[in-house]
Amino acid sequence: MIDSLYIAWRYLLFNPARSLTLVACITLVAFLPLSLQLLLDEAERSLRSRSVDTPLLAGAKGSALDLVMNSLYFDDQLPTTVSMGLVERLEQDGLAIPVPLYVRFKTRGFPIVGTTLDYFDFRGLTIGQGRLPALLGECILGSEVATQLGLKAGDHLVSTPENLFDLAGIYPLRMKVVGVLKPSHSEDDRAVFSDLKTTWVIQGLGHGHQDLARTDDPSVILDKSDSNVTANAKLLQYTEINSSNLNAFHFHGSPKAYPLSAVIAYPEDKRSETILRGRYVDSDKYQILVPSEVIDGLLENIFRIKQVLDTVVLIVGLATLLALVLVFTLSIRLRQREMETIFKLGCSRLTMVRLLAAEIAIVVLVSVALGGLLAGATTRFSDVLIRTLIA
Amino acid sequence: MTLLNYRISIACALLCTQLFCQTARAEETTRSIVAVNYPLHFFARTIGGKEVKAEFPLPPEIDPAYWKPEPREVAIFQRADLVLLNGAGYAGWTAYAALPRRKLVDTSAGFRDRYLSVADQVTHSHGPAGDHSHNTTAFTTWLDLSLAAEQAAAVKQALTRTDPENGQSYARRSDKLEKQLLDLDQRMQSAGKVLSGGPVIFSHPVYQYLERAYAIAGTSLHWEPHKEPDAGQWALLQEIATTSGSRLMIWESDPLTRTRDRLHALGIQVVVFDPMANQPKEGDFLSGMERNVRSLEEAAESLQSQGLVNTRE
Repeated sequence: MIDSLYIAWRYLLFNPARSLTLVACITLVAFLPLSLQLLLDEAERSLRSRSVDTPLLAGAKGSALDLVMNSLYFDDQLPTTVSMGLVERLEQDGLAIPVPLYVRFKTRGFPIVGTTLDYFDFRGLTIGQGRLPALLGECILGSEVATQLGLKAGDHLVSTPENLFDLAGIYPLRMKVVGVLKPSHSEDDRAVFSDLKTTWVIQGLGHGHQDLARTDDPSVILDKSDSNVTANAKLLQYTEINSSNLNAFHFHGSPKAYPLSAVIAYPEDKRSETILRGRYVDSDKYQILVPSEVIDGLLENIFRIKQVLDTVVLIVGLATLLALVLVFTLSIRLRQREMETIFKLGCSRLTMVRLLAAEIAIVVLVSVALGGLLAGATTRFSDVLIRTLIA
Repeated sequence: MTLLNYRISIACALLCTQLFCQTARAEETTRSIVAVNYPLHFFARTIGGKEVKAEFPLPPEIDPAYWKPEPREVAIFQRADLVLLNGAGYAGWTAYAALPRRKLVDTSAGFRDRYLSVADQVTHSHGPAGDHSHNTTAFTTWLDLSLAAEQAAAVKQALTRTDPENGQSYARRSDKLEKQLLDLDQRMQSAGKVLSGGPVIFSHPVYQYLERAYAIAGTSLHWEPHKEPDAGQWALLQEIATTSGSRLMIWESDPLTRTRDRLHALGIQVVVFDPMANQPKEGDFLSGMERNVRSLEEAAESLQSQGLVNTRE
């Protein structure tokens, strides 16, 4: 048997192009459905775990999927915003602890998640380096953001303007990085976190400027009376918040009206959850949904697509198998003279069969080994791959 | 060492370990409560008793309303189980600090409709946001002692909500504190009835709630106790005293002797009514307020005997 394997091995090495083509075909046919299954399993695990960890999500009426994808996976699609008034209303209801989210802005390709410190407690996120944001204008990084951007506590990050051509728009905010989160193997690794108020400053709802009542520069004043001072566009607005100008920052309007993309609600118990959902069933403005139900719906669609893909892969697999049979049949014809020589040397027909079987076995074994390696690599990087695909 | 000594040593060691573990466990489970000013810290400490760890990380020499904490000081508030806020825009730093929302307790939320506005704020405008001004609410709410009692009740509610097991203890201590505060309030009402006859002068604009609660009308200046007023300030004072007939000036703390003497020379009596926003060097909030009330009562009596104020009481 060893002799047959050796001769088969030498034959395969003598015809590298043919051997490699056979190995590639079998590897791909074996690997494709396997990798698809692995990725779907990871996607399901990732989507479900994140959604299960988020009992309720409150937001504006509209697309439930947009709301969930933006709030849980920091998707670019901003759902219709709600106001801080919803948080106060949920607090007054006393049935759940609301954690506001404002996922709208980006910095160097990563989402800026405006939230309160409660978010870190509920998600179980802990600081790996530095500290939590303490003051306006500070941010902390998810572990992947820190690695990819090469940033650490003490560095700075500038928010990306929403519209580069809006020259009269809001200045980008230079945020101070004060900490890096420990890896959580979730979307939180790929996000930048700041206090809600910092995101409102990025939006221009809060700003800092020189004290108009005390300024001695007449060129910034358009009009001044006992009760009002009107400034012109020359008024210097701060683009970075530091200890010297922190007190100059202020917000306009009622905080109740400030925008949010969603509110995560952590109910006290199942009963509170049911009551809370019941209260918002007929609301014209708001919806409260269970993210896991939305994700289940999404996964159902994915699995339906997967069934179609499975059928396609099965047909392709069968076609490949037939092609392989054809290749081996043709190779027997091509090797007619070689086989005659083997017979003349005194070998039986069975020896020839053994040689062919050994070739097939080697090709299949190498293909399976390669497929296994690729599947291993897929498993290793599936979470990163899925998070990149979801984001 | 005999076998008995060994046994005793081992037993002692075990006992010490157990005690240490129990203490550590108790410390772990004790709720830490941080307040933005001393009155709230006092309420938390008084109502919470041994069941809570009331912290007040502010330096003693500053006014908590205008404190600018460093990030490490904000971290103390972030780590606490409850953060007691005064509300009414007090402690402006809380507006730009990242604090855990679910742990915040706005102790004046129950009487938001009774907040007082500060007049004479200059508004400004730039860009599309329109006119706006900063910090227009008076915030020394606890100087109306009935409101202080409501704030103490809010502290009790927050403690009971987070630690219902000790609810009865909190309620018992809260009731006692409320009674003490309302007793002082009653005495202030009486003093106010006397003083309402003649306007007073306040050294600083922090007494708005006291003015409203006890009908002590007056004019607020911006005089610092440790600084000698300049000529302009004296001129303004004399003008106010002449037009309103004020014979009493209420200070946050003892003014300089020269200032006091000159006020006496002008026929203006000095009364110290410490708002107690920060931790006193001696005594506590109640004893400090008791001292404040007594000073006002004595001033009222003195002015009454001179026939300079209301004689209804």
